Amino acid sequence: MPDITVEVLRYQPDTAEAPYLESFTIPYTEDMSVLQGLQYIKDTVDGSLTYRWSCRMAICGSCGMMINGIPELACHTFLRDYAPGPIRVEALNHFPIERDLVIDATDFMEKFPKITPWIEPKVAKKPSEGEYLQTPAELERFEQFSHCINCMLCYAACPQYGLDKDFLGPGLTALLHRYNMDSRDGASAKRMELVHSEEGVWSCTAVGYCSEVCPKQVDPANAVNQNKTKSAVDWFTRFLPGSKP
Amino acid sequence: METFSFDIAIVGGGGAGLRAAIAAAEADPSLRIALLSKVYPMRSHTVAAEGGSAAVTRSDDSLEHHFNDTVSGGDWLCDQDVVEYFVAHCTEEMTQLEHWGCPWSRKEDGHVNVRAFGGMKIERTWFAADRTGFHMLHTLFQTSMKYPSIQRFDEHFCCDLVVDDGRVQGVVAIEIATGGFKLIRAKSVIIATGGAGRVFRQNTNGGIVTGDGMALAYRHGVPLRDMEFMQYHPTCMPGTGLLFTEACRGEGGLLTNKDGYRYLQDYGLGPPDPWPRKKAMELGPRDRLSQAFWHEERKGRTIETPQGPAVNLDLRHLGEAKLRERLPQIYELAVEFMGIDPAKSPVPVRPAVHYTMGGIPTNVLTASPLPGLYAVGECASVGIHGANRLGSNSLAELCVFGKVAGEEAARFAKSVPPPEEPELLRQANAAKDRALQVLKRPVMGERLADVRDSMAKSMERGCGIYRLEDEMRETCEELAKLKERFASVALKDHSERWNTEWLSTLELGFQLDVAQAMAHSALERRESRGAHQRLDAYKTRDDVKYLKHTLATYQGDSTPAITYSDVTITKSQPAERVYGGAAKEVTHA
Amino acid sequence: MSYIRPMEGWWKKNPFFLRYMAREATAVFVYLYGLLLVGGLVNLAAGEAAFNGWLAWLRSPVGVGFQLVCLAVFAYHTWSWFVIMPKTMPPVMVAGKRLKGSAITASGVVIALVASLVIFFLTVTP
Repeated sequence: MPDITVEVLRYQPDTAEAPYLESFTIPYTEDMSVLQGLQYIKDTVDGSLTYRWSCRMAICGSCGMMINGIPELACHTFLRDYAPGPIRVEALNHFPIERDLVIDATDFMEKFPKITPWIEPKVAKKPSEGEYLQTPAELERFEQFSHCINCMLCYAACPQYGLDKDFLGPGLTALLHRYNMDSRDGASAKRMELVHSEEGVWSCTAVGYCSEVCPKQVDPANAVNQNKTKSAVDWFTRFLPGSKP
Repeated sequence: METFSFDIAIVGGGGAGLRAAIAAAEADPSLRIALLSKVYPMRSHTVAAEGGSAAVTRSDDSLEHHFNDTVSGGDWLCDQDVVEYFVAHCTEEMTQLEHWGCPWSRKEDGHVNVRAFGGMKIERTWFAADRTGFHMLHTLFQTSMKYPSIQRFDEHFCCDLVVDDGRVQGVVAIEIATGGFKLIRAKSVIIATGGAGRVFRQNTNGGIVTGDGMALAYRHGVPLRDMEFMQYHPTCMPGTGLLFTEACRGEGGLLTNKDGYRYLQDYGLGPPDPWPRKKAMELGPRDRLSQAFWHEERKGRTIETPQGPAVNLDLRHLGEAKLRERLPQIYELAVEFMGIDPAKSPVPVRPAVHYTMGGIPTNVLTASPLPGLYAVGECASVGIHGANRLGSNSLAELCVFGKVAGEEAARFAKSVPPPEEPELLRQANAAKDRALQVLKRPVMGERLADVRDSMAKSMERGCGIYRLEDEMRETCEELAKLKERFASVALKDHSERWNTEWLSTLELGFQLDVAQAMAHSALERRESRGAHQRLDAYKTRDDVKYLKHTLATYQGDSTPAITYSDVTITKSQPAERVYGGAAKEVTHA
Repeated sequence: MSYIRPMEGWWKKNPFFLRYMAREATAVFVYLYGLLLVGGLVNLAAGEAAFNGWLAWLRSPVGVGFQLVCLAVFAYHTWSWFVIMPKTMPPVMVAGKRLKGSAITASGVVIALVASLVIFFLTVTP
């Protein structure tokens, strides 16, 4: 079996040292993912190598990391595409490193409830009265934005988030947009307050890298930038009768 | 040690745990609810479920049909009173999810669409493309954020229960980021920690599915029920074991062997046409399909892949447009992981361990034998799956019984006095010491991965799709030896912060106990039923001796004690499980 | 203690970011060209001699050089604007199917080219 060199950015919080690169040379097979490579290292070479993972199929969002400087999910990035290496694996950008490849996701998790990520129905209805009707066309208006797996690759991609942690960021704006576009929901006005703010869409400068790296084709750049138009229109029409506050 | 007081503690933040938390919060907003999860809730394994969630919907369907499909699918090992409750509440729960925003796939008129699924007489599986578990989990998680009374302890590893005065009184958890221990006192505890599929080698499960909650209850004297019944999902990726949803077959996909032959017709599931047809051929139940693969492999009719033998899942006739609309996630999976375009080539698949039918026994109110302890979801054996689960019943289970668990735990919490402080702290400190003993292991010794992989291989061999007395016995012996070896597993990482090697070692301890319960339960069940099929002297179902649940009781370092309990039979008397062409004619008494 | 990595030099580390910075930098040239045009207006108001002086500068080597640089930069600016344009729009439905981002970009580029050619011929032909 051929070998590949994997360079991992290690960080031990117990010491005062800065992160350092450690090199491992491991055998690999055609179908091995970077995640499997890390598991091999942890199982046979260094049990202290630390990373998050679970589903192995790009749906749980745990294993986001920088692979050769690009935000990727380790479970569906394959060693064969980087052989013989070295392939450089680091913690996701723009987040504090807690240990090795584990980042501190507190900022994202704390912002999450602020986007009102639930349905506030336009029309009250009891489950016993049946489902809300929603045509396939209405579903299509928001479905793409509902595919976000909260992997935070877009936050690692976004330089504005890197420079200013107050920015709501691509992923959460996409989720916010998902709810605004859902025909069953009536809380757009509340969410738009967040959108209008400095930390909302106006911190975005349309770099667009977030949509490039998104593993689920959510296109958060679209969600954010569509809302710039909405925000501007809302602002200009705010004195018209019938416009929302 | 930091201590907290809550009314209810929920261990596990997947679909079941979240549904229970929401139900408890709605039952009484003044109750304080702690929701612990060793991962962020959106990483829970519910996220990987694909195909759908069952609920009677069509006018030509009925609760009786769903009931009969489930009971016969479970080879009559289901508690029929529980199944009756279950089927009667699925539709309401799926509708509730819809109200909370779940993006169910729709018909043109705006009503929710339903698809055919394995072992089900009529289409009743609600689906959200082929990402149903993902959408259900995210809907539940995001909805749970509405309730201020739910306090989450994300990335907290539950290492023990605290039991005093004959009832559960809290949990002890490790904050993963710091290694700090917390005592979370609670008047009722709900375990919703999922299954234990990772004890087997090839499986569809995520790394976190290690039977934690089952082991914790087990070690506190709660028997584990029906542990021998492990579901092999017939269509998984060779090597990784990743799941190709049953919906592939629900949408019309075919299974062919190396000769291009739809081999399922040789195993009582035919005739092959007309296709698609409910409960026949590729829409038969999972245990039968996995067993057919096993036979095909023995006959040398499977295809060889670099990751081992497989059969072909042929989706070409569905066409790219339909595949991208109905099965987008598995399309991506085939392309990204295997370099195969399902619209142009068949996809090699094979069975892998997928679901744990057994678990912590509960009644229909999700109460375990230990007062104050509730269990719900895959970690529980509430009685609906019996010896074999029908696809799309488990996602529905999360919500139907998640709600019950939340309401019951709330009711119990209000009925009992607050706990005795000093005793709980003493127990918590003892649990902390036990966990820290593992952290202090030397750097030289057995390798964690070796013990884990040996367990997984042994379980695959002894408790596979077909079982033999000798092989099961061998696995039981190997597990006993592995438990000894486990005591000498070394630890390289002695940090307290984010020490996943330490936690993996604790998880392996849980897994070995659960594996023992599985292997001994399998050995002692001397019949074949559902997912437990034997090729030795016990090839047939024995309703005289074994129309019973198996109970495995922890005996510390000794092997588990195996006893039996009754199955509740109400409307449906055990009959022959009939699929294929004949299924249309059979009506159940 | 968690470790926070510095953002210094972030834009140099990825070709995507280099292209982004180049796009942003084109705004500087738009600004300078705008100043040039304002200069033209001011000189026009100041009388024929002043205006001819301004035209002469436009024809000088430096002037021509500057305008050629601007032309190249504006071409990149236009291209990069149309690349990002689909991201700013809600879905565009054509005959029941959603228009792809690349189609929107392509349309924008074509319209820009046609408009440029029209204006070119209008100014060049007598």
